[in-house]
Amino acid sequence: MIPFRFRLERRLERHWWQSVLTPLLSILAAFAAGAIFLLIKGFDPITVYRELFKASFTSKFGITDSLTIAVPLILTGLAAAVVFRMNIFNIGAEGQLYLGAIFGSWAGLALTGNLPTVLGVAVVLVAGAVGGALWAAPAAVFKAYFGTSEIITTLMLTFIALFLMRYLIFGSHSYWRDNEAANFPQGKKIPSSARFELWSDTRLHWGLVVAIAIAVLVWVIIRFTSLGYDMNVVGSSDAAARYSGIPVRRTVIMAILISGALGGLAGATEVAGRAYALDPNGLELGLGFTGIVVAALARYNPFAIILVATFLGGLRNAGVALQGLPGERVPVEVSLMLQGAILLFAIGGEIFTHHRLSVSRVAEAVAT
Amino acid sequence: MNDAVFVLTLAAAVGAAVPIALAALGELLAETSGVLNLGVEGMMLIGAVMAFQVGDATGSLWLALLVGSLAGALFSSIHAFLCVTLRANQIVSGLALVIFGTGLSTFIGKSIEGKPLDTDFTPIRWGFLADIPVLGPLLFDQDPMVYATIAIAIAITLYLNRTKAGLAVRAVGESPGTADTMGVAVAATRYVHVMLGGLLAGMAGAYLVLGQVPSWSQDGTTAGIGWIALALVVFASWRPLRVLLGAFLFGFARRANFWLQGEDWAPDIPAEFLSMLPYLLTIAVLVVWGSRDLRRRVGSPSALGVPYDRAER
Repeated sequence: MIPFRFRLERRLERHWWQSVLTPLLSILAAFAAGAIFLLIKGFDPITVYRELFKASFTSKFGITDSLTIAVPLILTGLAAAVVFRMNIFNIGAEGQLYLGAIFGSWAGLALTGNLPTVLGVAVVLVAGAVGGALWAAPAAVFKAYFGTSEIITTLMLTFIALFLMRYLIFGSHSYWRDNEAANFPQGKKIPSSARFELWSDTRLHWGLVVAIAIAVLVWVIIRFTSLGYDMNVVGSSDAAARYSGIPVRRTVIMAILISGALGGLAGATEVAGRAYALDPNGLELGLGFTGIVVAALARYNPFAIILVATFLGGLRNAGVALQGLPGERVPVEVSLMLQGAILLFAIGGEIFTHHRLSVSRVAEAVAT
Repeated sequence: MNDAVFVLTLAAAVGAAVPIALAALGELLAETSGVLNLGVEGMMLIGAVMAFQVGDATGSLWLALLVGSLAGALFSSIHAFLCVTLRANQIVSGLALVIFGTGLSTFIGKSIEGKPLDTDFTPIRWGFLADIPVLGPLLFDQDPMVYATIAIAIAITLYLNRTKAGLAVRAVGESPGTADTMGVAVAATRYVHVMLGGLLAGMAGAYLVLGQVPSWSQDGTTAGIGWIALALVVFASWRPLRVLLGAFLFGFARRANFWLQGEDWAPDIPAEFLSMLPYLLTIAVLVVWGSRDLRRRVGSPSALGVPYDRAER
């Protein structure tokens, strides 16, 4: 038998660096695990990883492209973080993002023709947030009043949103579709007054500033408002919240609506900053699901979310750049796989921030 | 009238119910032992992609099914390790399993995407029974996996209610502390049942690529069946035979477009809206059967989702 005995013991003191070290180590471990799969598939992991970082984080356009993808990821990351930290699991940011794009592009097409740019973009963003919140509303109400698991309802709503979006562009001659385009069905482009301005000759747009501002706003709400306080209490104990007179139902509903609005906002920034139309092919990227990884890795901290979103944005961006490598193509999906692995290791590593592994000889353990 | 199409739809619904039922039965086993595994969709994808590879390489249906199932079990051991040994949050871990499973299966399956696989399960005809109107095509002319699924559901019912080991599993799910005192190995029981759940989920995914859809594609193969299976366990109040009934209902919702599009009386509903049907049905079912009070009454395992730590008992 094994001469050692492993036990997890609760740490008596915690250090701040442990919560930074865990995500970093989990990223390293995930890359190591990813290397195994790359080797099995016959790729050289060192080359793949080197190119991956070169593509996303070393050139000007690499960095700005990474930041461009970070914009929706910051917002979907916040969408997950706001509720996950209360142990409410809205995993439907993906669907809320689609609805944000549907509402946002509608507003862009219908309302912004004569507006100055700043106002036009604002209209698109507000419409997107409303769309996302509305899409989360059924899940919020069912959870608050019937105790229905929001995990499954938000995900089911995501599938419904997906088919709705496809219907608007591929399945009908809706208001969103460019009915003059003769070839492949596509969305009608929103006027320039509803678009974010680009930064010089890059693809990066002012949505980044908006996303960072929203991150700060979320932090302020959580830390300094009574709603944020209520959310914290409800999150740590339903019963405690009820006894101290906090309206639990209202707080739960508000939290899910805010989360939905953030997801919707992500869809609206994609419309105003990148796609300029309701473009199902350009939106079905799993940005909502990646938001969950962002939030978990950032330990639900709004500022860490900005950093993590940039990192994962780069990873995703590099997947595309890897296509340019000589030899056999590395699938774009390598970045998706790495994301999942990073999350798994982060969850596994989480316990070591408040537990430590103690190893003792079995003989001693028996003697004591 | 178009009765023939309706009967064909019902018969197709039985086939469509198989993966949903298998995945839900697996989840039922894991949940009965007290571990919630939201990663069903990920385990199904891994099972599907591995089964496809083996089916493509060897042409053997049953070997492909076996490898797909084992791959699902192996994959679910990640969840067991994180939740049982490291006592991680089961919800977050399950979500991570879906994300990793999606990424890994797409990565592995990149080279075979869209490639057709010309294997199929041959239906078993039960002699003259297959000629009975309606019931014949519905029950006596189906592929072997349909009967296997029914047998598995019956076996699980007997196991959980009539055997000592099965009762011990339920004890672990209801009150791990008490089970531990009685000498039941809580961690081992949970590992085994999470992995049995993975086995069945992998089998469900394998059946999808081998018998239901003609080729592998990450978003088209499972299409949320893993999540529907999770809702189905709640709907079935953790009873295996009710899982079968519910799976048939969802199978019908998945195939209803087949029937509705052929009917004159049916309004001309766009295909996208018909595709929403199973997901709408899932929400409706959860709102009605998944309410907090009802869940408590019908016997959701009391320790579901709670990690067991002997030191903090």
